[in-house]
Amino acid sequence: MTTRRTFLKVLSGGLGLAAVGLPSRQSLADVAKASETEFFVFIIAAGGWDVTLWADPRNEAKGIVHPASTTNTDTSQLRRWVDAPLVDGEKSFQLVRPAGSNLVFGPGIGDLADMPDRLTVINGLAMNTVAHPDGQLFSTTGRHPQGGRVAASSIDTMLSNELGRDQLLPTVSVRFPSAYVGADLDRRVVPLAIDDVGSIARTVTRAQQYDANPERDLVTAMLSEEARDLAKRSTYPDVLDGLALQYEGVRHMLDSHLQDVFTTGGLQKAHPELNYTRRFTRGAAVNAAFAVESIKRNLVRCVSFAVGGFDTHGNNYRTQAQLQQETFELVALLVKSLDRTPHPLVQGHKLSEHTHILVVSDFCRTPQVNLALGRDHYPNNSALVVSPRFRSNFVFGKTDLEQLLPAPVKKFADGERAIAPPDLLATFVSAFGVDPRKYMRDGEVVKELLRL
Amino acid sequence: MVPPSAPLPLVANGVAAEDTARKENLRMVPPEVYMRTYLQLFGGLLPVDAQKRAKAGDGGSVFDSWDDYVSALGFPDYRFDIPRQTQTNALMVAAFERLGIALCDRALEHDLKGKAPLPVQDRLIFAFDLPKGTVDAKAFGPRFDVLHRTFLGYPAALAPPQRTARFFQLYRDLVSEHAKTSPKSRFTPDEAGWAGVCYGLVRHPEFHLY
Repeated sequence: MTTRRTFLKVLSGGLGLAAVGLPSRQSLADVAKASETEFFVFIIAAGGWDVTLWADPRNEAKGIVHPASTTNTDTSQLRRWVDAPLVDGEKSFQLVRPAGSNLVFGPGIGDLADMPDRLTVINGLAMNTVAHPDGQLFSTTGRHPQGGRVAASSIDTMLSNELGRDQLLPTVSVRFPSAYVGADLDRRVVPLAIDDVGSIARTVTRAQQYDANPERDLVTAMLSEEARDLAKRSTYPDVLDGLALQYEGVRHMLDSHLQDVFTTGGLQKAHPELNYTRRFTRGAAVNAAFAVESIKRNLVRCVSFAVGGFDTHGNNYRTQAQLQQETFELVALLVKSLDRTPHPLVQGHKLSEHTHILVVSDFCRTPQVNLALGRDHYPNNSALVVSPRFRSNFVFGKTDLEQLLPAPVKKFADGERAIAPPDLLATFVSAFGVDPRKYMRDGEVVKELLRL
Repeated sequence: MVPPSAPLPLVANGVAAEDTARKENLRMVPPEVYMRTYLQLFGGLLPVDAQKRAKAGDGGSVFDSWDDYVSALGFPDYRFDIPRQTQTNALMVAAFERLGIALCDRALEHDLKGKAPLPVQDRLIFAFDLPKGTVDAKAFGPRFDVLHRTFLGYPAALAPPQRTARFFQLYRDLVSEHAKTSPKSRFTPDEAGWAGVCYGLVRHPEFHLY
């Protein structure tokens, strides 16, 4: 077993050696070895969230910023909203300042404000796009699409390829923009893209009235053999070899009786601590329960899912803060659930010590309110990391006060500039000993974000 | 007017070797193509009718509803901007198995277990009669060829040389396994053997990749 001290020693020994902030290959390999018991949860707030309501709060009318107010926001359900004067009788909100922390949030943060020592906030992410598919791919792959096609693998695929090849379900992706693109990828880690986790159970259910599992296993074994033989005859064997592995994966899947637990009802029963009665995040709560249960059983490496409804151009902006509150409450409940759950492999450890959560969105919303009382797309963004390997109670990156645009934050190898999604993703994968250059064209490791 | 005449053979001017090797990697057939082929094999039914026939309401539990499988099969979902999947994954392969079993089991019931024998031309998949007694390689071969042409589109004789023998071995293993482990099954061991051969073809790499 690798201790935290060993990990940090290995990581600190390697970081900063290369010109663009990449650790040496040897130290990365050592960290990767130390990361074989780690799990990942990736969440995308699909549609583009308003960062002025949580990570980069604005409660004053300054420049083009028109903050959330009692005129454009339904405050009745917001637990952290406390009125603050704005103009002409309008009220904005008081900033949320968690006790004992320098972090400052807007009311959308909800109950997650109670655990600032677990949070790393990244502000002022330069998105360079205001198109949904582009923003989602840039946030999750570090590349803008090329001619409408995905240009690189998403972060869940990268980490599964490095650390999850032998898992039964390397990446389960529920409405998340997971992508499998590039060379040197194992076919086993193609993301299992599904609409809802219940479809796993329904897909692996097998009737017993006609034949039994051993008979189906015989067919599957024969098909695996066929695929391997065809691969031997093929100029390009990797797809067929991959299919052979996937046939074998099906056998393991069926042997694991996944259908007993991975139904919506089964997951709700197994994890009553997650709130399934919320207005916006009922479905996402089931996905979070799936994440806890499948990690507890050591079946997955990455679980990725989306929380939808953030695209609020019109009057539906009134509930954006409530949607954020429910989303971050779900993250808080997920963390608490992981706090209580023992690690399946590391004795005496809790899952939260080895589970790393990244929450991103397409981009943020305009600082000014439009004529329909909503906010449109804006090329700035924020992200949230909950990870023992990241420096917590910490915010990195900034925006300018008047226009909410990303501001230069440090000197990167290519000069002083704002942080961008490729930097965040490169930092994230490097924390687990993965060489970002293996998967990413751009991005620099931001050492300031890592716990060293 | 040019008078009709018998065609003349083309004159060979030389012989050159043709490179028949594939020039690119295999791809998964799009889910729409899979679905269309599946429905065609089920008798050219509409999706809702295929679902009805697969479910059958007899407690067989071989099929749920299309809604349960569309995302696992890799269909795009424009409600959530989920693109069409272009590569297989283990869950997709599991969905192929679930659907393949439903097709083969229901087709075998339809073709071979009716109250009155069904004319061969009206059958869905098993366009042959089961031989009486033990099936040997000689009896297996032509029947397997029918299934091979149905699912993979070419004669078994043109497939890699070990294929017929490998499927015959599978058939024999299934017959003996079924007799051992599924005494209460709705299928006799022979029927289970043929159903298994059908599963093997409808889930075959050549059925899903091109």
